[in-house]
Amino acid sequence: MLQGALAGLAAGGLYAVIAVCLTLMSRLVRVINFSQVAIGMFGAYTAVLFAERGLPQWAATLCGIVIGAIISALIGWIIAQWLPEADVSRRSAVSVATLLLLISLAFIIFGSKPKTFRPILSGPAFSLGDVVVTQVTVVMVLLAVLVAIACRLLLTKSKIGTRLRALSERPTTAELLGIPAKRLSVAVWLVSGLICTVAISIVAPTQTNDPVSLSFIIVPASAAALLGGFKRLDLAVIGGLALGMLQGALAQFEQLSILRNWVPFLIIVAFLLWTQRKEVWDVAR
Amino acid sequence: MKTRSIQYAAVAAVGMLLLSACGEDSNSNNSAAVGSNGNIVVGSVNALSGAATFPEASKAAQAVFDQVNASGGINGKKIDYVVTDDKGDPATAAQSARDVVGSKNAVALVGSASLLDCDVNAKYYQENGILSIQGTGVDQACFSSPAVSPVNVGPFLDTEMTLTYGSETLKLDKICGFLEIAGATGPAYKAAIENWKKKTGKDLVFLDDSVPYGSPDYTPQVIKAKNAGCKAVYINATEPDGLGMLKAAEAQGFNDVTWLFLTSTYTEQFAQAAGKVGNGVYVPAEFAPYTDENEAANKDWRELMTSKNIPLTSFAQGGYLAAKYFVEVLQGISGDITRAAVTKALQEMKPISNPMVGTPYVFGPGSAHNSSTGVWPVKLQDGKWVKAADNWLLQK
Repeated sequence: MLQGALAGLAAGGLYAVIAVCLTLMSRLVRVINFSQVAIGMFGAYTAVLFAERGLPQWAATLCGIVIGAIISALIGWIIAQWLPEADVSRRSAVSVATLLLLISLAFIIFGSKPKTFRPILSGPAFSLGDVVVTQVTVVMVLLAVLVAIACRLLLTKSKIGTRLRALSERPTTAELLGIPAKRLSVAVWLVSGLICTVAISIVAPTQTNDPVSLSFIIVPASAAALLGGFKRLDLAVIGGLALGMLQGALAQFEQLSILRNWVPFLIIVAFLLWTQRKEVWDVAR
Repeated sequence: MKTRSIQYAAVAAVGMLLLSACGEDSNSNNSAAVGSNGNIVVGSVNALSGAATFPEASKAAQAVFDQVNASGGINGKKIDYVVTDDKGDPATAAQSARDVVGSKNAVALVGSASLLDCDVNAKYYQENGILSIQGTGVDQACFSSPAVSPVNVGPFLDTEMTLTYGSETLKLDKICGFLEIAGATGPAYKAAIENWKKKTGKDLVFLDDSVPYGSPDYTPQVIKAKNAGCKAVYINATEPDGLGMLKAAEAQGFNDVTWLFLTSTYTEQFAQAAGKVGNGVYVPAEFAPYTDENEAANKDWRELMTSKNIPLTSFAQGGYLAAKYFVEVLQGISGDITRAAVTKALQEMKPISNPMVGTPYVFGPGSAHNSSTGVWPVKLQDGKWVKAADNWLLQK
């Protein structure tokens, strides 16, 4: 059981990083970014393409990360330009379109055959019992925690943080007060695209890495972000790690292993029921 | 003004309908199932776009037909090969089949390669008296329909053979099993494993059939196999999932293990991407191993594919063989080449041998077809596929 949970930590770390990015985007630019992982996937695949053309691995990876960040910034710019006042669902719909576009583009540009990803990090960090905790797992968990702490500090302690919060609460008022709304939201998109592409570039060489499988990590990551209600960064990290470990533990039992694919959905349903409970009770009263 | 334009539109629509009805009438003469220019129309339904694509099979078949056409055709008639794309979508697959069979009036389907063509269309083919020489049969319906006879071995027999090779030739004990189930393939895989158990008296340490397709991380499965003391792992994984499994095993130091994969991972890209991590992977190749450049059985196929710039893959072997078998059957038909004549000829054909496969191909009148029952074991060695046996492993 404990071994299974540890085995799921690798996936959990990745869920946590993405859940933090999702929470950040939701809080600051009012978008549930369904294309978050697809952007990272696209960047990581581009890096492979550069490496195949003879670029050294570090340079190729760097190029991939830059491209991921640029794509993200571009989507952010489009939304900031044409949908500045739209509600969350409409802005999020753009990201669904982007997700599908990036997957299709990936098939056209990179083909459907497996690519040779060279690992940036590999090998074990330490062993706990019979389970090897890899360097990738350790880095992912650390990355999730660090990004969450950095974001929290930035938002509460810095001037940019105050501006970002003002922007997320009242975009028009903030802009009237002279806060450069468009530039700031594009910057948020850029940074989240960058973090996500870094995470995917580290993880992709060590696991299943076809475009669709990678892009759809967004589902469990969203479930993790839901645990913090797309608002709390700490709960997003805990949610990601817990979800990965729960899935890993469930996979060890014959009768329960089928359940693990349902866990993200169960969390989503449970969350929705919990958040809607007051409305139902109020109506009942 | 508005009413006027609606009237024009209505007249135009009626005109179009009439025209298309006339077209339908001239085409629907089933008994003379040849194209309007006298050519022999042959169809195929393929996954050319979507998540999993198999474009090589129909390209290879096309190359064979081009060759036949260039040397005068069949009794002076050219073969018109109609390739459709089902996009991995059931509705499009049904539409593609109706286009080929209903509108284009094909005499047979040859070299199709799709994940769901058989599942969606086998009944329709049967109802329309048309037969399909499947280039790559994947789903269970390809191996259990009177209207379809694949040239390949298929994932179910592959499962039985790879387990048999593991337990009988490699003398592996403690084999664990993982299954990724798509659609209704579960019972067929389990039946194949049961067959292996009955024939060898062996059993799996465990069988976990809850492995999802495209799972991002296979560490939990690897830990499970490691804890159970597995010496070998069988999984029906596709290329990315197989790679994911190998990488997770490497990270966990689960090295002393033999992997029994299916032919779905037998590609050069997989070998390259796996690199040294792939040492210990065995796969039953369904055709003479194409990764061995000196394999004499593939000479003609290799030359044709290379000249047409078609990637060398198992799918290209399947498409090529389907077209070759079909042409041989066509050449034996005396009289008009119609759908009925082709169907009759395929049902009455004598088995055709080819060194590219272990057993002769036959369509025949049976209610289910799986004439190819030989595989050639290959293994991964430092990022390259090499032969693991000197000859075919035939199903006993």
